[in-house]
Amino acid sequence: MKLKSAILSGALGLLLAALPALAHHSFAAEFDVSKPITLKGKFVKMDWVNPHSQIHIDVTDADGKVVTWSCEALPPNSLYRQGWRKDSLKPGDEIEIEGFQAKDGTTNMWTRSVKTADGRRMFAGNADALPPSAPAAPKDESK
Amino acid sequence: MARAAYKVPRTPDGLPDLQGIWQVRDTTAAFDVQDHAGALGIPAGRSIVVQPPDGKIPYKPEALAKRQANFKNRDSADTLNRCYMPGVPRITYLDFPFQIFETPKYTLIAYEYIHNYRTIFTNGTKHLDGLDWWNGDSRGHWEGDTLVVDVTDFNDQTWFDASGDYHSDQLHVVERYTRTGPDTLQYEATIEDPDVFTQPWKIGIPLYRHTEPNFRVLEYECQAYSDEAAKGGQ
Repeated sequence: MKLKSAILSGALGLLLAALPALAHHSFAAEFDVSKPITLKGKFVKMDWVNPHSQIHIDVTDADGKVVTWSCEALPPNSLYRQGWRKDSLKPGDEIEIEGFQAKDGTTNMWTRSVKTADGRRMFAGNADALPPSAPAAPKDESK
Repeated sequence: MARAAYKVPRTPDGLPDLQGIWQVRDTTAAFDVQDHAGALGIPAGRSIVVQPPDGKIPYKPEALAKRQANFKNRDSADTLNRCYMPGVPRITYLDFPFQIFETPKYTLIAYEYIHNYRTIFTNGTKHLDGLDWWNGDSRGHWEGDTLVVDVTDFNDQTWFDASGDYHSDQLHVVERYTRTGPDTLQYEATIEDPDVFTQPWKIGIPLYRHTEPNFRVLEYECQAYSDEAAKGGQ
C-alpha cells in the first residue's frame, strides 16, 4: 500500500471508528440494492484494510476510456476465513465483479462476488450467502 | 559470572518461567534504534543494533534514501502517530509495560500499549499464509531456557522506531527471550528483509521486571495527535 492510500484509508478508519453505528450500517447508507451492477476489468490492487477491504479494478468503457473503480468488500479476516488470500488475485487479472452501485453515482460499489477468468468464483460480500459448492474454509492450525 | 550461575525458575508446567510484567529502561530506542543525537522530539541515545558490530542498520542504498525521507516526514508518515499497531519488534521497546503468560500450547504477551496482545503458538503449528498483519504471525519454541519466536506475515506499514527506520512486507523477525536474573530478561531480535537490507541484522536490549507492589498493566488508549495527517490533508 502506498503512503497516500494509507493516509486516506487511515482517515476513513478514524472517521468510521468515531462513528461505529455508521460503520455497521454503511451498506444501506452508501449503496443501493436497486442498482445491481456487474463490472468486467483488470484487477489493479486490493487494500486489505478494516473496516472493509477495497478491490480496485480498471474498467474500459465503450469509448475506450479506462476508469478505476473501488469495490468495497468484507473485512480481511472475513475474506480470509472464506478462503481468500493476499495473492488470490494478481495485478492484470481479468475479473468480473458483481454487486451494488453507490447511491451517489460515483465509481464505488459494494462487492458481492468476484469471478476470475479461470472460472473461480469468490464471494466477498456476505458470508451467509455461501453456496454449498464454495471452497471449504482453510483449516485453522492455530487451534 | 552471576548470569551463568542464575538458574531460570520453572512454571508449574515445567517451562522456563518468563512470566511477569516487563519494560525497557532504555527509552530512547523507541525513538531511534541506532546511535543518534538529539533532534526535535527525539532524545539522544545509543544504538541497540548489536549486529553488524558498527551498530548501523545495513540498508541498501536506495532504502537508506527512503529512510532519510521518512525521518524528515516522521510526524505524518509514522503510522504510530495515527494510533496504528506498532509492529514487532518495536512494540517491545516502546516505553510501556507488558505481561507474559505461559501455557504449554502458547505464550501470550499482553501489552499496555493500545491493548495489543500477541499469541505465540508453541504447539508446533505453522504460520498462516496469504495475509498480513501489523504485528505479524508468531510461532515459538523453547531452546533451553530461551523462548525463540519466529514472526512473519507483516504488512509494510510499521517502522522500527520514530525515526523512519522501516521494512517491507518481506520482513522476517526471529525473537529470543532469555531470563538472565530474577528481574532481568534479555530481548534479542534478528531482522531480515531482502527488499530493504543487504544482510540480516540484530538488536539486543534488556527488559526489567516490575517489582512494585500491586503493579499491573493498565489501559492505554491512543488518540491521534497528528490530526492533519489523519485527515489526509497534506
